[in-house]
Amino acid sequence: MSASAAEEAASAPGPAHTDASGAALRLGLLAVLLVLCLVPFLFVLAISFGHKIEGAGWEFGFEFTHYARFFFGAAWPESFSQLYWQRLGYSVYFAAIAAVLAVALAFPFTYFLTRLSRLGQTIWLVILLSSLSLSEVFIVMGWDILLSARSGLPALLDALGITDWTKEIGWFRWFRDVGLASPRNFKFKTSGFATVLTMAYLVWPYAVILLYPALSRLDPSLIEAARTMGARPLTVTRTVILPLVRLPLVGSSLLLFVFLLGTYVTVTVFADPSQHTLAVSIYDSVRGSTLNAPFGAAQSVILLVAAGGFLLAGRRLSAAAAS
Amino acid sequence: MTSKLIVNRRRLLQGGAAFAAASTLGAPLIAQSRSLKIGSYGGYFEDSFKNFVYPAFTEATGIAVESVTQPNSADWLLTMQQAAQAGNVPADLSLYARDTLIKASRMEGLLKPLDMGMIPNAGLLDPYFVFDDQPGTLGVGAMSWFTSMVVNPDELETPASWADLWDTSRFEQSLGLAKRYNAGLMDIVAATFFDGVSTFDTDDGIVAIIAKAAELKPNAALWWSAESQMEQAMKNLDVVAGMYYHDVAGIMASDGFPIASIFPKEGNVQDYGSWCLSGLSEKSAEAAEFVNFSCEPASQALMSRMIGTAPLMEREKTDLTEEEFAAVSGVPSIRPAYGAYLDKETFIQEAWDKMLAEG
Repeated sequence: MSASAAEEAASAPGPAHTDASGAALRLGLLAVLLVLCLVPFLFVLAISFGHKIEGAGWEFGFEFTHYARFFFGAAWPESFSQLYWQRLGYSVYFAAIAAVLAVALAFPFTYFLTRLSRLGQTIWLVILLSSLSLSEVFIVMGWDILLSARSGLPALLDALGITDWTKEIGWFRWFRDVGLASPRNFKFKTSGFATVLTMAYLVWPYAVILLYPALSRLDPSLIEAARTMGARPLTVTRTVILPLVRLPLVGSSLLLFVFLLGTYVTVTVFADPSQHTLAVSIYDSVRGSTLNAPFGAAQSVILLVAAGGFLLAGRRLSAAAAS
Repeated sequence: MTSKLIVNRRRLLQGGAAFAAASTLGAPLIAQSRSLKIGSYGGYFEDSFKNFVYPAFTEATGIAVESVTQPNSADWLLTMQQAAQAGNVPADLSLYARDTLIKASRMEGLLKPLDMGMIPNAGLLDPYFVFDDQPGTLGVGAMSWFTSMVVNPDELETPASWADLWDTSRFEQSLGLAKRYNAGLMDIVAATFFDGVSTFDTDDGIVAIIAKAAELKPNAALWWSAESQMEQAMKNLDVVAGMYYHDVAGIMASDGFPIASIFPKEGNVQDYGSWCLSGLSEKSAEAAEFVNFSCEPASQALMSRMIGTAPLMEREKTDLTEEEFAAVSGVPSIRPAYGAYLDKETFIQEAWDKMLAEG
């Protein structure tokens, strides 16, 4: 877009220096892009081929050890480990569920938001935008308290007598079996439930903001027409509204999915180590006691490639659906 | 006051970068003929050194101390390595945990031997805390800390052995355990069920330790990586027992939280920090004077009282009361298998992570 604007400026009758400043602008943008994106990425890529010195640090080199470790495990070829595949799998699993959940919950909210008065919409949007200033750490701390045995949901269930009631009718055993209870009480930390809940909460405001433009542009007369022809609200949603906003729905889900692939704090706090993601593994490699930056970098490159792959697949799918 | 100092200590180690700038600004700029730059972990820990230890040293020797903030031990090693390549000396003396000290000793020219002739007080320390390597003595212990067994005394009877934690009928979904492979749980397993450090000598021994640790999984409610996670979990009743820092547990107890730090019959894991001299430092004499001062029983007692660290000598050599000593230390001590953690780090880390990752 900036390029076409610059071309427009260049073709417009005017002094020659406009052309020069347009080129300078483009060069500047390119430089910013290089410095902010490409250089750090190339740096990570270069480190990922580095050499780890066992029991000490690492040095630059050119070896594929760290990629091989990701795919087959450190002890390969003696034994095979799918540890890092599993980590990548949980990255995708949590991010996908949380992104879809956030969009699914944001959709009805945003729809009704766009039906509010101008003032109502403004107030809600300001609240949502200001909630974006909360850091992940802060949100995780909040949910940590809300899900704690003494102060949170387990205490509430206990006070309401639900804990004792489920124990009486024998359902409590089931919660213990799936890891959502200790012998004493309900227990939501650590659990996949808490992880997905917090991740969805984290991106829900983004989901609303992403869906808002599309839903606010919906022509109310279409809905009114469907209603006058006798369609029930659910049928209207299914046959009129959803098809109209399908692309924004898919697009925001994909964007949030990629955003959530890198979630770190939520996963370290709420997920059991058996469900830890690649982001945690990357951090443990780079900053943990092994100081294995090359392996951390190799995992980052693979996560990036995976994210790119999903975005590409998503684009293909929505393009195919649109045609 | 001490309580606040210590509770915040390690938490600041984790997120201490922001404090680094602030603390450096606060460093006194005293123009004196003799001076020394000393690194220590940022935040309240460093502040305690600046408020209590360095002034006593300056008073005794006339050497001015410029305090340098280290984020922690491992990351500081990278900083020092890069600085050495550029010919800089950010700190004459750095504070390294033993594993980092060993790593540093393996990197050419990063450390310079200490002049032990000027450090007679090092003889007062348990010899374990004086690290000798090829070129000479590369590290002398500064202070130590314990990772101990903690229980919620309102909910449980005190276990007599670490082995009790494997009893699922008592501890199902109840324990808070350290997640990092070298945070002490492997050493506890080795001391409780195997032959201690020597079990780490073979890969089979390591595999056996990890398999035994895996049996704890039904009892683990939390695998913590940050100290604050375990603190919150104990306070919130999310866990009722586990492993945690002895000194911090004592402070939480004195603040009224239901937590007791105990020494079971196998003991608790002891880790320690060492003073190490930068390879490019020209302050060997001043550094030796400081290390000698730090080894004095009075200095060790001062650190125990003001920073909450355990002294590196028997209580009888210091003027600490039994109560003061028990607040920071105890026996027996389980010493981590540092050598194995370094020489086989990739193998142990991956085997450990794999154990944790199995559902």
